[in-house]
Amino acid sequence: MEEFDVIVVGGGITGAGTARDCALRGLKVLLIERDDIATGATGRNHGLLHSGARYAVTDKESASECISENMILKKVARHCVDDTSGLFITLPEDDLEYQDTFVKSCLAAGIKAEVIDPKEALRLEPSVNPDIIGAVRVPDGCVDPFRLCSANIVDAKLHGAKIALRSEVVGFIKEGDTVRGVKVLDRSTKQVNDYYSKIVVNAAGIWGHHIASLAGVNIGMFPAKGALLIFAHRVNSMVINRCRKPANADILVPGDTVCVIGTTSTRVPYEECDNMRVTPDEVRLLLTEGAKLAPCLEHTRILRGYAGVRPLVSADNDPSGRNISRGIVCLDHETRDGIKGFVSITGGKLMTYRLMAEIATDTVCRKLGVEASCQTAKLPLPGSEGGGLEKIAKKIWEVPTTAQKALVGRFGAGAAHLDFDDDKGGVVCECEEVTVAEVDAAAEYLDVNDLVDLRRRTRVGMGTCQGELCACRAAGRLAKANGCAAKAREDLKSFMRERWKGMYPVAWGETLREGSYTQWVYSEVLGLNEDR
Amino acid sequence: MRFDTIIIGGGLSSLVCGIRLQRAGKKCVIVSAGQNALHFSSGTFGLLGRLIDGTEVSEPLKALSFLPESHPYSKIGVEKMTEYIAEVPSFFESCGVRLHPSQAPGEGGFPVNGYRITPMGSLKPGWLAMDEVTLLPSKDNMPWHKALIVNFSGFLDFNAGFIAEGLSRRGVECRVEPVSIADVELLRKNPTEMRSVGIARVMTKEGNWKEFGSKVRELVKGEELVILPEVFGLGDPVIIQWLREMIPAEVMFVGTMPPSVPGIRAQIRLKKAFEAAGGTFLQGDTAVDPLVEEGRVVSIHTVNLGNLSLTADYFVLASGHLFGKGLEAAPSKVVEPVFGLDTDFPADRSAWCDEDFFARQEYAGFGVVCDQSFRPSIGGRRIGNLYVIGSEVGGCNSLYEGSGAGVAIMTAMNVADSILEER
Repeated sequence: MEEFDVIVVGGGITGAGTARDCALRGLKVLLIERDDIATGATGRNHGLLHSGARYAVTDKESASECISENMILKKVARHCVDDTSGLFITLPEDDLEYQDTFVKSCLAAGIKAEVIDPKEALRLEPSVNPDIIGAVRVPDGCVDPFRLCSANIVDAKLHGAKIALRSEVVGFIKEGDTVRGVKVLDRSTKQVNDYYSKIVVNAAGIWGHHIASLAGVNIGMFPAKGALLIFAHRVNSMVINRCRKPANADILVPGDTVCVIGTTSTRVPYEECDNMRVTPDEVRLLLTEGAKLAPCLEHTRILRGYAGVRPLVSADNDPSGRNISRGIVCLDHETRDGIKGFVSITGGKLMTYRLMAEIATDTVCRKLGVEASCQTAKLPLPGSEGGGLEKIAKKIWEVPTTAQKALVGRFGAGAAHLDFDDDKGGVVCECEEVTVAEVDAAAEYLDVNDLVDLRRRTRVGMGTCQGELCACRAAGRLAKANGCAAKAREDLKSFMRERWKGMYPVAWGETLREGSYTQWVYSEVLGLNEDR
Repeated sequence: MRFDTIIIGGGLSSLVCGIRLQRAGKKCVIVSAGQNALHFSSGTFGLLGRLIDGTEVSEPLKALSFLPESHPYSKIGVEKMTEYIAEVPSFFESCGVRLHPSQAPGEGGFPVNGYRITPMGSLKPGWLAMDEVTLLPSKDNMPWHKALIVNFSGFLDFNAGFIAEGLSRRGVECRVEPVSIADVELLRKNPTEMRSVGIARVMTKEGNWKEFGSKVRELVKGEELVILPEVFGLGDPVIIQWLREMIPAEVMFVGTMPPSVPGIRAQIRLKKAFEAAGGTFLQGDTAVDPLVEEGRVVSIHTVNLGNLSLTADYFVLASGHLFGKGLEAAPSKVVEPVFGLDTDFPADRSAWCDEDFFARQEYAGFGVVCDQSFRPSIGGRRIGNLYVIGSEVGGCNSLYEGSGAGVAIMTAMNVADSILEER
């Protein structure tokens, strides 16, 4: 019987980070994820690399955590980060006095906040609302959560961790009040297998509520839905925030070839967390507020809408949920509930995943009597090591120059190891410049099961065309890699359904126009709607 | 500038209508904004593949009686439809576009739908096929045992694996082979050139298609069927014939991802036929600022011609559906942008789309409200000398029915005849 030191439940950024940290400290790790990496809140947020400024006034602790992690990620995960810097703007309808409070609070938390002339702000960021009466520049940026999650998984594996995707925890193996392992349903074979470990870490985000209940523990979680819209162009080059107390739809973040406006915050029933839909009211709100940050959004095609669920936790003695914190919550269920060998790490945010992983791993090590210290604040993630990105780009000279930049952006130093021989320099996804070599490498090394997984690893189909051409090309390539065209065909259908799900809530104007074209191609030309 | 008829839009319906009028001696101008549905064609023309309730149609003319009165085919009527259907192959032949009727007419002289092999290896009903496309009489009985599928190495828009999988399900054993041609390899240096039309352009060179043909010939090892991507004969379709003669097996061409080479060829040839008949084709121009007085269109302007107004006795609107920008979907209404014509759409936006990508989408049935002779109205008031043809016509969901080309051709012929009869 193989026993692990630690089983991490959840393949989001927290689970991936924890698995990596544990593996780096010499522990024998198994990560279990019911679907694919980054399928929950990790892949459903702004992708904002907070400077902490947003929380400076209302939550100083979070603000300090953010700026410290911000500076760490810019070093250790630089191939996942775009250091755009950000603006906090004051509109005529806002209170300009708040700007003073804001700047003071930022400086107190160690965040560089520089008041600039609104005219200067317009020069720096031409898309910003020209009516602004105040602007502050802060070190915000953006981060690709898929890339970040994938890099953590890759490094965990490099350090011996095992990763089980499409594997769902359906129960705990307990001896008295001690957790000995988990019962796991393999979604491909439909078999339930037992896995043993000294400690189980629950890092399942909002679904951690359910995982904890399987172990007989109650965590009072409050699912808070956040809806966002992606636009088909990167209209802004800097992050644009409203300089006021955090509210709905007041952040516009550029990311790769697109930009994202969000979010809303609504309490939703736990049962709905698996099937989040963006409502017409949310769309209306996001568009109205978004246009106040950057007026050109009114005329920009909306690519899609999506929603994630924040795993907020109420303070232990506050079952009403009034004191909900967005800070990190690490629960040792031995001291809290008398269940040994079980730890939950939750709350927090994408931005502080590394710190969450460190806290969880510290707890694990303490319980196991392991003395190794955390290295993740110093040790670069795979892709962020080695020379500058320009240098790496030169190593893949055989690829078209535009694709070089995109490749290095996604794989960092790893780009130099891709195989561009034979016909692999060809471009699969023209919007995102994804090459055949990347698709093949993802299929071979990055646990890609289908096209949707591939999208999370490579950005295939995330760009302006939402997969019109590239989905079919990528499906052909995956069919080759996996030797199964019938599965690739079904995957292609699921992929198109999934893309349409995001377009559906915003299906009018240019979005519907593009959707109608895609439907024409896939139904009429390709006949993918026909039964076999 | 004065014309007998001004046609707005440059796609299939517009060209058919224009050629018919011009050949009858009417002076026509076509104002075309750019690409149209022919560029994204499947290589076949569908007349009616299924009814709105999902019932499959094998003999379109027989199914006409099941269509609602508001359907464009119902407005044209069985008699005229039968007449036009019989006329279509020779009409296109006279324009230099060879079309094969799917098969011999069924009982009572009705045309029968055939089946095209799609780029995903599915079978899709069709009525007429362009030169290189083959329509099979049945979905189930494949007349071959072994097939060879050849692709250009590195060409991602033709997925031989999917076609092989689709055919093997129907009992045809498939082998896939890549072929390299030096000039195509050059295209690969710039990946965006590695598209169907890029290769098709290279394949117009005699040395290239001959080299390709002889390489394929060497690859054939007893297969009765050879499948090639639709990237030949962009200039002169005779190459397709020659390739068929060169290769010692039945040769079938299957579609690529868009753009469609047979579709583009058809568009080029129809445009030439229109111009040869004396018509004026304004390429890359957009109709704007119509003058409508007392229920009649007096003139329009175009972006390129500026102040110069175009006047005519008759106006035909053929500017397409949503993708062609003939219709625009605002958040709460559907607008016809040139004249502001009355449109037909569900008032509740939640009814526009189905959440399932592959289900019937109601938005595809948006259209301009027309009377029995395809004349539209503005604010309920009929416009006497304006007609609407093609996908812009309301009353049918062409995407679902597989009737896009059929509606375009039938409405175009019908409106051309109405205009000719009115004189």
